[in-house]
Amino acid sequence: MSNQAVIQVDSIVKKYKDVTAVNGVSFTVNRGEVFSFVGPNGAGKTTTVEILVCLRDLTAGKAKVLGFDVSSRKGKQQIRKRVGVLPQDFNTFDLLTVKENINYYKRMYGNVGRDTDDLIKLVNLEHKSKTLYKNLSGGLKKRVAIAITLANDPEIIFLDEPTTGLDPKARRDVWKLIEGLRDQGKTIFLTTHYMDEAQVLSDRVVIISYGKIIADGTPSELILKHGGKTTLIVEDGKKEAYEVLKTKFPKARIENGDVLVPINNKSDLPNAVMALNGNKTKFGELIVRRPNLEDVFLNLTGKKIVDGELN
Amino acid sequence: MKRIAAIVNGALRTWFRSKTTLFWTLAFPILLMLLFGAIFNVSDDPRFDFYVQNQDVIDGQPSMLSNTFVSMLNETGVLNIKMVDATENTGTYIEEKGVEMMLIIPEGFHQSSLAQNASVTLKTVPIEVDTTAATVRGVVEQVIEYFNIAATGQNPPQVVTMQLEDLVSNNYRFIDYFVPGLIGMTLMTTGIFGAVGWNTRNKELGILKKLATTPLSKFEYIIGVILFELVMCTISTVAILIVGVLVFNVTILPNIYSIILIVAGAITFPGMGMVIARFVKETDSADAAANAITFPMMFLSGTFFPLETMPELLRQIARVLPLTYLSDGLRDSMVYDNASSALYNTAIVLVVGIIFIVIGSLITSWREE
Repeated sequence: MSNQAVIQVDSIVKKYKDVTAVNGVSFTVNRGEVFSFVGPNGAGKTTTVEILVCLRDLTAGKAKVLGFDVSSRKGKQQIRKRVGVLPQDFNTFDLLTVKENINYYKRMYGNVGRDTDDLIKLVNLEHKSKTLYKNLSGGLKKRVAIAITLANDPEIIFLDEPTTGLDPKARRDVWKLIEGLRDQGKTIFLTTHYMDEAQVLSDRVVIISYGKIIADGTPSELILKHGGKTTLIVEDGKKEAYEVLKTKFPKARIENGDVLVPINNKSDLPNAVMALNGNKTKFGELIVRRPNLEDVFLNLTGKKIVDGELN
Repeated sequence: MKRIAAIVNGALRTWFRSKTTLFWTLAFPILLMLLFGAIFNVSDDPRFDFYVQNQDVIDGQPSMLSNTFVSMLNETGVLNIKMVDATENTGTYIEEKGVEMMLIIPEGFHQSSLAQNASVTLKTVPIEVDTTAATVRGVVEQVIEYFNIAATGQNPPQVVTMQLEDLVSNNYRFIDYFVPGLIGMTLMTTGIFGAVGWNTRNKELGILKKLATTPLSKFEYIIGVILFELVMCTISTVAILIVGVLVFNVTILPNIYSIILIVAGAITFPGMGMVIARFVKETDSADAAANAITFPMMFLSGTFFPLETMPELLRQIARVLPLTYLSDGLRDSMVYDNASSALYNTAIVLVVGIIFIVIGSLITSWREE
């Protein structure tokens, strides 16, 4: 990762008639960085990506990708040559094989970049190279889509919701691929509504809600600043455990039968355990849960993201 | 150019592997031709219409031997004899009535037969145009043989011989009318369904959006789609002609006008398809929209039946449909050999095609708005 900015976004606005999808968004992305744009559906993530990859025109503001203005004709031509884009919900030709599909998109770039067989190997699909796309599972289809995204050996890879709709194993497989690309020094612009995904993969996270950026930083910075306290969860502690703990921990609370105790300093944890043991309180398990990006979003907006939607 | 080639190549592979598309673009028109050809090429009367002009009339009555000869023809049961008045001008009669087979028994036949040097003239369309002519020739030859044996008790010598003359037939068979219409219809369905289906599906799958992020331009994409449609239309046309020739002995062959018309048709209908695809969001709706356009056009443009048999209102509607001009032009060029009319229809289809392709290209959604 370097400090060379490859994406510079300055107060961009995108309006559709009466709706403002993106409202004065500014950020920069450095070379070699995995940058996550996180937010619920309709927050403006995809619109921002589509502006950066020249699929949509700006209403106001300025944006540069690899030093090229996204609004100029020449800039658009250069950007299209040098970035790779995985659009949201992208599927390719059902009746072409894996190899034929990748070749198809490679030809759009004049066959530059990695060899097709290398790309197939990169996404671990050597055994499926002659299989028709329609006969692949959802996870394997996503791997083909990622190989297609890399067809021109792009300097920046835009992945718009790459794991939406995948089962947990397929999601992990995609994560591994993204981690592999990060290790190769690729700059990755990832949009997602999965907070865990952003936390695992990102060097930097920008959270967007209703078209505006509400937080920007590394995952640990954001968690430290907005994530709240570490919490001890007394599983199935119910009222008995709550009564024992509330004297020492006035902010303890019951949620669905579990007692949640905020941990403010190092001594809080042993004190809580001793209090429970001393009173021979019955409970299930003790779990220490550190704050994460979900807590960050919850604390910033007062809402959770469930299946991409605000809840 | 490589990008356009990639578009065509990808589309062709997809087409070739899709059994449904293959059926509708290749098998369906051929099945339609076999079906309609079988239905309309069979007459209610299994006998052949056979015109006979007996010019050997004595005192207003046919001579004895000429009358015997006609009776023998009639007794075969194969020929549906239609007598032509001896005073009729055969040339005019043949042209006006669209006669395809006529036997002329000349004046003096009776006397010539007695002198064993009579002849009759059989005029038929060439057997390569209509194979039934060969059958009829065989029947007449058989009758002459029996007549000779009956007259002389031996064979040879020959009492009567037959002279053959080819007729230029203006009475086209249904299949002759149908095949160009079928080609026009196939160009229409292939073009409209192809463009609507291809564009809508690619839009739905996100392929168009993905392509728009690459250096491929909308112009290159559209050229690729049109070239693909052109290849498909050529394959369909060739398949129809091959089956037409092999099964129905169709003799029509493409000439310069029909080739230009096929190219114009291959531009017009994808252009229409692009216009439709612009307003359709899902693949299912795309099929419905394409059907709504193609089915009325198929029946109103004289694909199956001549426009002259339709009510005036429908004929007026047909006059604004591009398929009418395409089918008419193909018939003019491939069947009637009417160059001026073919040129007129070609010009109309070409202009309409260019208009549609320009509109289709302009309104095809490529990048997001």
